[in-house]
Amino acid sequence: MPVSVIKDFIEKSRLKSPWLVHFDCGSCNGCDIEVLACLTPLYDVERFGILNIGNPKHADMLLVTGTVNHRNKKVLKNLYDQMPHPKVVLALGACGTSGGVFREAYNVVGGVDKVIPVDVYVPGCAVKPEAIIDGVVTALGRLAEKRAEASASAKE
Amino acid sequence: MPDTLLFLLIVVPFLAALGCLLLRQEQLRSLIIIGTGGLLTLCALMLMASTPFSAAPKSILGISVSMLIQAADFFLLGVIGYYGYKHRNLLIQGLAVLQFVLLACFETFMVAPGKEYATFYGDTLSLVMVLVICIVGSLICIHAIPYMKEHEHHLQLEGSKQPRFFAIMVLFLGAMNGLVLTNDLSFFYFFFELTTICSFLLIGHDQTEIAETNAVRALWMNALGGAALLVGIMWIYSKTGTMDMQAIISAGPKAALLLPLALLCFAGFTKAAQAPFQSWLLGAMVAPTPTSALLHSSTMVKAGVYLVIRFAPAFAGTFLSLGVALAGAFTFLAMAVLAMGQSNGKKILAYSTVSNLGLIMACAGINTKAAITAAILLIIFHALTKALLFLCVGTIEQRIGSRDIEDMRGLLTAMPWTAVILVAGILTMILPPFGMLLGKWVAIESSSQQLFVIVMLALGSAVTVAYWARWAGQIMSVSSLGAREPELQPMLTRGPLAALLGGAVLLSALWPWVYNRVAGPGPGLANPASAAVMGFMIVVIGSGFLWAVNAMRQARTARMTRPYLCGAPENVEGTYVGPINQDMPVILGNAYFTSLVTEDRLTCWVNMGAGLMLVLMIGGAL
Amino acid sequence: MKSLFLALIGMAVAPVVGGLVSGLDRILTARCQSRKGPPLIQPFYDAAKLWGKEVTATNPWQAFCAVMYLVAAAASVGLLCAGSDLLLIFFVQAVGAVFLVMGAYAVPSPYSQIGAQRELLQMVAYEPLIILTIVGIRLMTGSFRVDAVFALDQPLLFKLPLLFLVLGYALTIKLRKSPFDISACHHAHQEIVRGVYTEFSGPYLALIEIAHWYEVILVLGLVSLFWATSIAGMILLVAATYAAEILVDNVSSRMTWRWMLGSVWLSGLVLSGINLVWLYAR
Repeated sequence: MPVSVIKDFIEKSRLKSPWLVHFDCGSCNGCDIEVLACLTPLYDVERFGILNIGNPKHADMLLVTGTVNHRNKKVLKNLYDQMPHPKVVLALGACGTSGGVFREAYNVVGGVDKVIPVDVYVPGCAVKPEAIIDGVVTALGRLAEKRAEASASAKE
Repeated sequence: MPDTLLFLLIVVPFLAALGCLLLRQEQLRSLIIIGTGGLLTLCALMLMASTPFSAAPKSILGISVSMLIQAADFFLLGVIGYYGYKHRNLLIQGLAVLQFVLLACFETFMVAPGKEYATFYGDTLSLVMVLVICIVGSLICIHAIPYMKEHEHHLQLEGSKQPRFFAIMVLFLGAMNGLVLTNDLSFFYFFFELTTICSFLLIGHDQTEIAETNAVRALWMNALGGAALLVGIMWIYSKTGTMDMQAIISAGPKAALLLPLALLCFAGFTKAAQAPFQSWLLGAMVAPTPTSALLHSSTMVKAGVYLVIRFAPAFAGTFLSLGVALAGAFTFLAMAVLAMGQSNGKKILAYSTVSNLGLIMACAGINTKAAITAAILLIIFHALTKALLFLCVGTIEQRIGSRDIEDMRGLLTAMPWTAVILVAGILTMILPPFGMLLGKWVAIESSSQQLFVIVMLALGSAVTVAYWARWAGQIMSVSSLGAREPELQPMLTRGPLAALLGGAVLLSALWPWVYNRVAGPGPGLANPASAAVMGFMIVVIGSGFLWAVNAMRQARTARMTRPYLCGAPENVEGTYVGPINQDMPVILGNAYFTSLVTEDRLTCWVNMGAGLMLVLMIGGAL
Repeated sequence: MKSLFLALIGMAVAPVVGGLVSGLDRILTARCQSRKGPPLIQPFYDAAKLWGKEVTATNPWQAFCAVMYLVAAAASVGLLCAGSDLLLIFFVQAVGAVFLVMGAYAVPSPYSQIGAQRELLQMVAYEPLIILTIVGIRLMTGSFRVDAVFALDQPLLFKLPLLFLVLGYALTIKLRKSPFDISACHHAHQEIVRGVYTEFSGPYLALIEIAHWYEVILVLGLVSLFWATSIAGMILLVAATYAAEILVDNVSSRMTWRWMLGSVWLSGLVLSGINLVWLYAR
């Protein structure tokens, strides 16, 4: 019994304490400013246990803004690989989701999903803080789904 | 029984030294060294059963002991004078002539045959010293066998100088045994000078220019101490009319004897390389590593602290005692700060030796029974650990060709076995439940009544932890994914290292027993690290250790990630892909606070401060 | 036997209380910044989540160091609750501090290595002050033991006011509060990523979080000794001190190690020197 209580608490905690790492792939900084705006007293995401931890090795969520180009795609992949499972990825803004107006440029790979799997797309140019918070909450749902799938496949 | 043991402990090393010199065959020499080491260890252990003892051997092999020592005294001064002449050092020549004249006057005009007394005496302090000298010293000599072979191979000498080297090493052990067992001031003087000569010859062994300069420096500083010792002895004799050390000590503090005792302390300070005399010990690291290990751990510098601890009861409660405590504590702090600014591993070890000896001196100066006990315990644990660390650094230096701690970064990959031993050795230096820290604990508890001493000890001990932890940390700094190759070493290299570490750990675990054995019965000696406390620590930290080892084993199977470099891609290990797709090396380095701790500038201030402390110490005896 | 029992209770209860104090700290800090802040048990969510994450490491030695840090921190709290020798408690917590530094050194990443060096400097700054405070307590009680403090009939604070201030300095560093949060910040913001914590991840970071709770309790325990004559006094003093720490944390910016070492050694030594001279002169 106590073991399952602890396990349940850990599963609950995964949704109560999403730590973010934010990576700017080459954004115009519009979306970055909005990400930081989430930390301000007006939005105060720490209410939900969200911390902008700035270190992939500690993070559960990767927030990516801007278009991916040939230079930083390896960096993006590296950061993603350094995050311990379970983890989710959010692509923010028009550029992050699809490459935006730069998608045809010679140096651009495209959206984040060309390099790493993306769980939640948050559109906007720039994204609104409310949309980012909404995206994080949606991502938590994805995280729960992923855990459920993982435990289901483990049972089989 | 003690007579036989005395003969074995003091005279046999001299004979073994002669054997090393004469029988110039390698296997035979190794056999002599290992045999002598084993014999000395055995005798030292047997001596445990018969302490306290006193003995007065009249003659050895048919020659009167005191005649022999008198003759040898003049011979030694002749040797010192000769080397002073050879190296054209007026100071050494002057000191040798001065001592020659003084000694001649002393022996002819002053010394009158008095009543009989024991010329040799053994109590707990001497026993501890004998054990340290025989066991740690022998292990160092054994480690030196493969080391010196490699050393000479590296230097590509024409003829081997090993016979001379090992002869002096073994002789040194005999001289130290004599020094700590004698009860006669004139014998003490002889052995004291003998260690000076031995250390001079060992430091200059490689005969490079720098080795000779440093050897000469060691000689003049220690000859200065020898002169102070001789004057002190003459003075004491003129006041008391006896050379019997126990009689002088047991008489208790006397105002008339304070100034000569201050001179004796001065001699101890030069021998123990206390500031401002630390430069000779720092210079000694140019010698082959076994020399440094011997000088720093079981012999030489320990003779200096032994002298002060031995005579401590004779100045207990006087201002001289406070002066010794202040000077020692100052050395402890100043040398720790200087070590903080070093990246040369041997220099860090050297500064830490001087620093720890300062702590021992401070304990001797505080001069309560608990403090003296702390001093003796610190001698034991310092000898074990410092010998281990020096031998490790020597072994590492022969392999990687550097003694700089920056070059030891990630040593775990190249030399896994030695790296782990070195880190364990460093941890026994600074952490509970190991002996060095427990000794420091008793020292701090017993010095709580001395404001300046306690402030300096508090500051010094924090700095000490910092420079050791820095070194230990970066040895383990590894991110290699590749499999490590097992490290191959000769048995004679590996055995002493394992024995020294095992000894330090085992004696730490036996702390309550060791403490009671050293302290003896008496009031005011409550051991803070009682059996209950040690039991709790060993159980909790020990089980934590097992858990940690298990966690480390599990972590080997974990997914390995690369060090965080802001996600910069990495094609070759230890580099990142920089501008125009070039592999840029990741270069890490420690801060050595060179703007704050400039060695030259700080040493100047430290020497001035320490000089003032010495003036305070000796002046306080007036 | 009784002291062993107390030690075990202390080691069991301390992480719970320590976690709650950390949660309260986060709420109060948020309120200082006119935010609402996380729930009170947020630190437990964080630790549980970290414990449940995938195990990744760069060097297995990190795991060893993280475990030793936790064990040493727990042991020091146990010794405090058992009323043991203050210097011993201090030395045992230093074991944890050294292993944290070694764990940070274990990975050749510039951020954790700079963090490790700064952590060492922090230790150099606070350790002498804590030793001197303990010496002050010794001069008042005649013993280095914690239980001797409870035998006094007057709070230590009256006789050791300056040493209490000195201890406050040391504790600000130990609690990783501004202006001394130079090696790793208690909150998630730092110019060198996460300093000493950077390379620990998942369960190892959880161990380190729990060890930090133990250290918070150790620190508050030391503070409570200064009003050991009544329970209410202890609680009041601890609450006031912690509130002051949070206030200082929020109104000051991070300083450099040079400033830290200079100011802490200078003011700490002067204040403790004066206070100790009063005691010696008695």
